Amino acid sequence: MTWTQFSLGALVLLPMLGAAVAMLLPHRGRRVLGVGTAVVIAALTVPVLVTVTAGELTELVLGGFDAPLGIHLRGDGLAAVFLGATSLVGLILTSYAAVLPKSTGTYLSSTAWVPGHPGFWPLWLGCWSGLNAVYLSGDLFNLYVALELVGLTAVALVALGGRSSWEPALRYLFIAVLGSLMFLAGVGLLASVTGTLDLQQTRQALEELDDPTLSLLALTLMTMGLGMKIALLPMHRWLVPAHSSAPGVVSPILSGLVIKAALVVLLRCWLWAVPVLPGAEWLTWLLGGLGAAAVVIGSVLALRQDRLKPLVAYSTVAQIGYWFLAFPLLLPGENDDAALASGAYSAVIALALGHALAKAGLFTAAGFLKDRCGTDEIEALRGAGAHHPTLILAMGLCAVGLLGLPISLGFTGKWQLATAAVAAEHWWLILVLGAGTLLSAAYLLRGIAPLLMQAEVDDDAPAANPVTIRERVGEFAVLALGVATLATGLLGVWLSDLLEVGSWW
Amino acid sequence: MDAGMDTITWYLLIATSMTVFGMVRLLLVRDMLARLIALDVTGIGVLVTLVALAARSESTDPVLQALVITGLVIAVAFTGLGAVLIRRIEGQHEDPPGGEQS
Repeated sequence: MTWTQFSLGALVLLPMLGAAVAMLLPHRGRRVLGVGTAVVIAALTVPVLVTVTAGELTELVLGGFDAPLGIHLRGDGLAAVFLGATSLVGLILTSYAAVLPKSTGTYLSSTAWVPGHPGFWPLWLGCWSGLNAVYLSGDLFNLYVALELVGLTAVALVALGGRSSWEPALRYLFIAVLGSLMFLAGVGLLASVTGTLDLQQTRQALEELDDPTLSLLALTLMTMGLGMKIALLPMHRWLVPAHSSAPGVVSPILSGLVIKAALVVLLRCWLWAVPVLPGAEWLTWLLGGLGAAAVVIGSVLALRQDRLKPLVAYSTVAQIGYWFLAFPLLLPGENDDAALASGAYSAVIALALGHALAKAGLFTAAGFLKDRCGTDEIEALRGAGAHHPTLILAMGLCAVGLLGLPISLGFTGKWQLATAAVAAEHWWLILVLGAGTLLSAAYLLRGIAPLLMQAEVDDDAPAANPVTIRERVGEFAVLALGVATLATGLLGVWLSDLLEVGSWW
Repeated sequence: MDAGMDTITWYLLIATSMTVFGMVRLLLVRDMLARLIALDVTGIGVLVTLVALAARSESTDPVLQALVITGLVIAVAFTGLGAVLIRRIEGQHEDPPGGEQS
């Protein structure tokens, strides 16, 4: 077993072990354990990234049982880039939560609501284990189990936010479980004709099949189920209450990472498990159309918000749209152009990664202000920037990433998408991209500009309280996410090379 | 063989209608407990579909059965989580605990 193979297994099992051990520790011990585990996970990601950069695909067959019965972990390009982003965001957010335990929710002790929920640590480590398992899974069955682990822990994480978060959490539970049941039905249909769950074997078996109807039905079911979990436009209503009522450090985890898990599963289904189907064009166009609607409607709804966290949550709805815009280009249809598909594919990945970093930063900042000032109403936060210059700088950097200005990954993604759209002569896509960018500039300004205004309120505003050392450290964690948003923009070429390893074409 | 296929077709029909009824109820009803039970019915519908599909061949398909067993475990997990959340939400209406919530 090589070092990389060991890392693949450990990336899934170590956070799970950490979650189990954390259950036994007191609150302070959980924080130490959480940060320790996060550092080790980040270190374990390095060998995977190095191996994939060298162009090698690593596989680990757990326990030596081969497919279709055994469990395959596959460290390909898609897995590596998402592992890298998750480790970076996860490490920063873990440190933030350890420094500012207030951001992990509130719990009801015998007398009162106490800030800082110890239940955050096992749930977050369990969620992380599920995320890594989603990225590395080589078969549909484990994708399902890992996605379910991520979903259930995410629901519980939302519920840490105290009384106001329980109803959104329940709503999230219903949608997430319904989504994974539809996904399970699709997986079951595929397995009933192919007799296997392994991604490659499924593809081979489906290519030999004459009638594409069943694969199309299964793909439609899986896409609908995952669309619910990603919160594609008509199915987005659960996202805003869940993401905005979650505790300060949970919202960035949900928006930055948990949604990406469902996106990875969707890409694995469309590009790896199921071969190009002759009847699937309408589905790609439907997804593209819904994506365009999400970009426009999500942005307009974000503009209409008076509170910071719902504004950021609606911006997530809009950004999700961009990933689906690329779907009509992703599968070579009448014009059989593999370069086009790979361009659209790396555009989706760049946009998703850029969003993971930038949105995590912006949501952490919004949660920080809400924890500190007791409210996230934009009017009440007017002038808060004077006391938190670092935070505002970080928010500005994240906004650059969300807007897609150079040199962020958001820019790389939009550029690649636009290039692919021009090559395929889909001019409407350019229009949507332009409109989305302008609208996002408007809602980000609406969210951030009041923070910079001269405050009319006097010095007893909550933002004017002396800033503790811990809060300063928390602000620097947000700044780290902001800097990472820009710094990763320099990695565009490396990213495209990584994605070629173990890709479907 | 014909008779066997017929039984399976029946099971598939029943399972599909269970899934659809569960889903419609889930989306239409407002009571939280009823929604949770509707979700369970949907889940069982999907699992019965898988069992019926697994029984088509001479020897039962082990891969699909493994999916069903895992599905059952997950159904228990989400029902438990949902029940706890519902109890808390209903409990806060009846007996508001003291203290301020931040």
